[in-house]
Amino acid sequence: MIAGLAGGIAARLGVSTVYVRAAFVALALAGGVGVLCYLIGWLVTPDQRQCGSLIVAEEPPTTTQRIGLALAFLAVLIALDAVGLWFGPVVWPTVLFLFGGALIWDRSSAESRERMARFARPSEGDQPRSRAQIFAGVTLMVVGVVVVLASLRSFQSLGPVAIAVLLTAAGFMLLFGPWVLGLFQDLSDERTARIRSEERAEMAAHLHDSVLQTLAMIQRTDDPQRMITLARAQERDLRAWLFEPDGGSNGGSVHEAVADAAAKIEATFDIPIEVVVVGDRALDDRLTPLVGAATEAMANAAKHSGATSISVYVECSDDSVDAWITDQGAGFDPDTVPPDRRGIAESIVARMVRSGGEATIVSEPGEGTEVHLRSETR
Amino acid sequence: MTTIYLIDDHELFLSGVRSELSERFDVVGWSTDVDTATDEIRKARPDVVLVDVHMPGGGGLAVVRNVHATNPEIRFLALSVSDAPEDVIAMIRAGSRGYVTKSIDPASLADAVERVASGDAVFSPKLAGFVLDAFSETEPVEFDPELDRLTPREREVLRQIARGYAYKQVAARLSISVKTVETHVSAVLRKLQLSNRHELARWATERRIV
Repeated sequence: MIAGLAGGIAARLGVSTVYVRAAFVALALAGGVGVLCYLIGWLVTPDQRQCGSLIVAEEPPTTTQRIGLALAFLAVLIALDAVGLWFGPVVWPTVLFLFGGALIWDRSSAESRERMARFARPSEGDQPRSRAQIFAGVTLMVVGVVVVLASLRSFQSLGPVAIAVLLTAAGFMLLFGPWVLGLFQDLSDERTARIRSEERAEMAAHLHDSVLQTLAMIQRTDDPQRMITLARAQERDLRAWLFEPDGGSNGGSVHEAVADAAAKIEATFDIPIEVVVVGDRALDDRLTPLVGAATEAMANAAKHSGATSISVYVECSDDSVDAWITDQGAGFDPDTVPPDRRGIAESIVARMVRSGGEATIVSEPGEGTEVHLRSETR
Repeated sequence: MTTIYLIDDHELFLSGVRSELSERFDVVGWSTDVDTATDEIRKARPDVVLVDVHMPGGGGLAVVRNVHATNPEIRFLALSVSDAPEDVIAMIRAGSRGYVTKSIDPASLADAVERVASGDAVFSPKLAGFVLDAFSETEPVEFDPELDRLTPREREVLRQIARGYAYKQVAARLSISVKTVETHVSAVLRKLQLSNRHELARWATERRIV
């Protein structure tokens, strides 16, 4: 705090700074030995800026070592008591109080410590505690302590002690009362503000992750088709987030899965995909392959058809789910597909058959392609 | 030449659409607010009004309702960024003959305007999907069976539209004439506007458009 000595020693020993500070204060009470130690230590200890990280302990001390340090410190106090460098019975309670406080401070989480530190300092918006108030509080405390010391030395009646305790308490109230009240006020204010700001933060985070990124990408691209694709993907995403009750993340439905797949294909192949879904139902073992096959069909259309757009229509009825993936591009003759092209045979037809469904592909050169997937669900 | 009027509170979008459509249509006016639009449309009497859904001062819905009450011969095509079901159904039930989203390409938009001008309905794939959803077969029939139910043929036509096919392609695929497709879609539009089906009624009540 003053010359950084406590911090340096703490770093060397691997214990929390606050214990070392408490130890110095306790020693200061014991006939001023602590002040002397601090000054000597300050003079003989090298500056941290020159030593760098050398003074940092390699690892935190074990519990045994901690107890050892505490016992050593206790022994020093007892020795000082024995030689008479002592302010009387007030030292022991003070030592306990200091180390108790140090313990609490050290054990409290970093977050709450940060909050306490923040509130202890009057922030810009707060009414600053007046100098007079602080002066009055400190004076009362000093008077209280002096009276306690005087009374303890002369072993007089309890009257002055009670007055001293009251004075000290009043000083505490003046100094810290507003802070304690403010702490509670701030906590409740903070809670309401946090709820409000969380909503805004969520909105801001979403816009930042999606809309702003897309706008940046659009500005960096020269290809009009790419711009359109980016804008469409972003539009779809924003629409889902704004208009679908759960932010468009219910994941487990046919509608959602098909829309997700279409968005991915659209982004990958720069081609608009119009998705229309009638009805909806939860994904299951039979419908997941249907969505997979539909995705493959969209990818095929995007890669090979040369069409300017792809239409996907899914209809969920009580006993079946049907999907049509249509493009009006080049088309092909299904009989002349080279055997090494596994996409249609394996990823679409076989996948549907394995799950108990069926796939029909209608295509002619120049007439576009329509893939019909059907899965009975009853 | 078909006369059109444009309403949109986004000036940039408005000027874009104006330049896209000015070659095929006679743009007789445009405005960016509800009150001006209502007055000017009554004076200019365009064949088709392209109207944005979300605007300050009651939105496109107010324009459609105001004008439809006094000039039912003027046809509306709703053009919006929103494809939320309640927006779609509100505009259709107020009297729009079609609903397309703003992402539509210019040629398709021009086709849609022509179609509305000739008295037909324009259903985007999304709108077709929505109607199929709202008129699902399992829903109980409530008031008027004729209005609350789609015929199998109408349903089939809507499915084709939802799958991305243009009217001409739908006709070829179902081996019917384009005129028949248009008749089916117009019949669906009428049901959409007049039906008391539960979902439609609920949306209407929520949006105070009854």
